[in-house]
Amino acid sequence: MAIPMAMATPTDSVSRIWSMSSLKSALPSAVTCRLPSSSSSRRPVTLRLPVSSPLPSFTGLSPVNPLLSIGLPDWRSFEDGFKIIDGGGRVYAMRHGRRVPKLNRPPDQRKALLRGLTTQLLKHGRIKTTRARASAMRKFVDKMITLAKDGSLHKRRQALGYIYEKQIVHALFAEVPDRYGERNGGYTRIIRTLPRRGDNAPMAYIELV
Amino acid sequence: MTFSRREPLVVGGVVGDVVDPFTRLVSLRVTYGHREVTNGLDLRPSHVLNKPTVEIGGDDFRNFYTLVMVDPDVPSPSNPHLREYLHWLVTDIPATTGAAFGNEIVCYESPRPPSGIHRVVLVLFRQLGRQTVYAPGWRQQFNTREFAEIYNLGLPVAASFFNCQRENGCGGRRT
Repeated sequence: MAIPMAMATPTDSVSRIWSMSSLKSALPSAVTCRLPSSSSSRRPVTLRLPVSSPLPSFTGLSPVNPLLSIGLPDWRSFEDGFKIIDGGGRVYAMRHGRRVPKLNRPPDQRKALLRGLTTQLLKHGRIKTTRARASAMRKFVDKMITLAKDGSLHKRRQALGYIYEKQIVHALFAEVPDRYGERNGGYTRIIRTLPRRGDNAPMAYIELV
Repeated sequence: MTFSRREPLVVGGVVGDVVDPFTRLVSLRVTYGHREVTNGLDLRPSHVLNKPTVEIGGDDFRNFYTLVMVDPDVPSPSNPHLREYLHWLVTDIPATTGAAFGNEIVCYESPRPPSGIHRVVLVLFRQLGRQTVYAPGWRQQFNTREFAEIYNLGLPVAASFFNCQRENGCGGRRT
């Protein structure tokens, strides 16, 4: 890619490639180092320290600062400056593969909502709520019943830390072995029902099987 | 007509908890005031204070039917140890008429669930002839299957249920 010198930025704004040269000409330049231009700009740009700096500082994990003249990185998008170091998890701009239901609430409220719902289901046996909440709470109700199936003191204290009313925990630990002794999982049933009048929210009954 | 998995009576757990799988032979229409009871309908105790009008199908006046109304979720759906509270028992209902023409053995008591959402089930049996049915000594611990066994009623011919919960919310948090 030829280096267009002193090009005005309005022409660059049409294409997604913006060149450093127009910016560099405006800024006081420091040490320059030429990078070989990469043909595909989707790879993260590997960082090469300028040789002439006295103290090579560790800049391995920091995003490449476009204003420090590292060279002329051929960037087509914002993400190319980041070296992606993680456990192998992919970060998408879309929701692909994310399975945690957020329930339109921040994490602390979400946890409190689910705790309240499981407490009420274990207390009443059958509750009517929205479909999203009903399908989100299945996991936690099953978890509480599994804790009760185990029955040890540690599990009881874990259940007490989650369910809001301690009478319900004691009643649960007393009756779960008889009631769900043979059943392996799937301790709830969801029955969809008519939408709510006020906001047409799809409702469902969730009940302990 | 056998029951598929998606049939409301199966999904609501009525078939299994209260009755065995049966074939629907006769039409059953239950109306509380202007509200017709469909399977799984939500009703409040204020709607079900008085006995409903029940209309039975069938074709022959000489067939008699028995209507049983029970609540299988007493005292609470999470702990139904008093399973099946008998609310209403009417026998000798001629076909194509209503429950008003029958013999009310156990008078109607309106459902007032203290906690949780209770199902209230109405089951219709066909009698072999006119028969005397004795009222049970108490309303709770009623067993519909045993009742049908004792009086030779066989399998039900129709069933319907609705959901009932207490008037204002769930009763609050009581420690």
